[in-house]
Amino acid sequence: MMAADNTAITPHLGAEPGDWLALLKPRVISLVVFTGAIGLFIAPGHINPVLAAVAIFCIALGAGAAGAINMWYDRDIDAMMRRTTDRPIPAGRIEASGALGYGIVLSVISVLLLAMATNLCAAFVLAFSIFYYAVIYTMWLKRRTPQNIVIGGGAGAFPAVIGWAAVTGHIGLLPMLLFAIVFFWTPPHFWSLALYAATDYEKAGIPMLPVVKGAKHTRLNVLVYSLLLLPLTVSPWVLGLTGRFYGVSALISGLAFVYFCWGVYADKQDAEGNSLTKDKPARAAFKFSILYLFVLFLACAIDRLV
Amino acid sequence: MMAEKHMPHPELTQPNWTDEQRAEFIRRRRGRNFLLLAALAAFCLMIYGIAIVKLHEYGQMW
Repeated sequence: MMAADNTAITPHLGAEPGDWLALLKPRVISLVVFTGAIGLFIAPGHINPVLAAVAIFCIALGAGAAGAINMWYDRDIDAMMRRTTDRPIPAGRIEASGALGYGIVLSVISVLLLAMATNLCAAFVLAFSIFYYAVIYTMWLKRRTPQNIVIGGGAGAFPAVIGWAAVTGHIGLLPMLLFAIVFFWTPPHFWSLALYAATDYEKAGIPMLPVVKGAKHTRLNVLVYSLLLLPLTVSPWVLGLTGRFYGVSALISGLAFVYFCWGVYADKQDAEGNSLTKDKPARAAFKFSILYLFVLFLACAIDRLV
Repeated sequence: MMAEKHMPHPELTQPNWTDEQRAEFIRRRRGRNFLLLAALAAFCLMIYGIAIVKLHEYGQMW
């Protein structure tokens, strides 16, 4: 409705160049580039810097392409949520079919380019990660189950594996552990956000955990996942895959994350678990979760140097 | 004459558009064209770079 109203007042003058870039979800790409680059950096072996740069570019392009397909599919619910209503498709600046074609073409280019620059293993994992995000998460799980984020977390966990595979041509134990870390990090990260954006998700009909099971249940899950995540983040050190620097960093930052998640669990709340503090702890946990992942991966890279 | 030269194709614009809207349409289209040009140039450069590195390091493309 928003798009139709806007175009009725303002004639369709075409998209700004930035709208096509916005379809790639640049914020998500920055995290993907970071984890992909770390995966590439910590992998044993050598890769030419030019090929490494191309590999990181392909990971970013593939993630962006999947984001464009996601925006194409979710255009109806994007128009209903405050956070997403100004995206290029719901705002009427880019046609939905154009966005789909754009996403598919960029997906194909990113996979072929990665295969050309590095190897088939990395290209296959990239292709699967695009399929996982665009089809398994966006089209299948997101609107059907409150566990959407749990399984969908896999989509964001692939870049480190792709980076590693680009150098080695195979998938080892360490990138699998990094995959698992991002996988288990995603639920508390997104559920913290969902706690204070629950009304938006409810309006759009997305079965996020706070919408379906309530805030109280979500708070407990945030805490449980943070507790599960802690030993997982330390496991590369315990298994001798990384050094002490990473291990100590993971332990300290993990304990801090548990503390923030405990804050979410113990937040002042009514009988149904709704916050009486405007979800201050959930907002803090969400912000810290981003820093936490950044610290974990950066520590992993620094550990390789010391 | 100059103004006519930069006028977009009549089918792409609407007769009821103001001059400002027409100018905005042209500006946006130019921006998109430059973005496409930059993307194509970067793509060609990348393929060239990959080919040079592969041939130099491994003696073959694949």
